[in-house]
Amino acid sequence: MNLARVDGVIVSTVCHPSMRGHRMIVCQPIDEAGRDEGTPVLALDPHGAGLHQRIIYSTDGSTTREHVGDPRSPLRNLVLAIVDPTLAQP
Amino acid sequence: MRLGHVIGKVTLSAAEPALRGARFLLVQPLSRAQFAGAPMEPLAPGSSLVIYDDLGAGLGHIVGFTEGAEAAAPFANPTPVDAYNAAIVDTIQYSPPLPPPASRKSVT
Repeated sequence: MNLARVDGVIVSTVCHPSMRGHRMIVCQPIDEAGRDEGTPVLALDPHGAGLHQRIIYSTDGSTTREHVGDPRSPLRNLVLAIVDPTLAQP
Repeated sequence: MRLGHVIGKVTLSAAEPALRGARFLLVQPLSRAQFAGAPMEPLAPGSSLVIYDDLGAGLGHIVGFTEGAEAAAPFANPTPVDAYNAAIVDTIQYSPPLPPPASRKSVT
C-alpha cells in the first residue's frame, strides 16, 4: 500500500464498465515527510477524499475487482483509507 | 492506472492468435507539468508504450491505462497483454498544493 496526496480528480465518460459511477482521483505518491515522489497515478476512491488530503491506496488488483464487483475489471489502485492530519503535517 | 497521451497507432502483421483483430495505440505517459495543462509537445521524458485499446481512442486523446496482471483481466480467455486502455479522459482537474518556501523537488 502506498502513501499519497490527493491532487485532483479526472472525469471519463468512455471507460471500462467497471469504472462507471466511481470517483477516480489523481494521487501524488509522497514519502513520510510529504515530499512528492514520481508522477501522479489514478486511484478509485470510495471514501470521498478531499483535495490535498493524504490517503493510503492499495495496488492489489484483486481487492479492487472485488470492490467494483467485476472479476474482469482492469482497475488496480483503490483508496483504502484517509490519513488523519494529527501526524506532524509537513 | 496512469495517464498517457496517444501519439500513434500500431498495426501488427504476425501476432499471437489471441491478439488478432486487436487495436494498439502508442502512448506517451504524461509528466506532472502536462497533468497541470502544459502542452503535449515536446513529449514528456520517459519511454512510450503500446497499449491494447477497446475504447477507440484516437490520436491526441488522453487515456488512462493500467499495466501488469490487471491489464490482462478484461479478457475472457488468457491474452498476452500487459497494458490496457481503461478510460478515455475527458477532463483532468489537477491542483497540487503550492510549493512550501523550503526547497521542493522541481516539477518535472
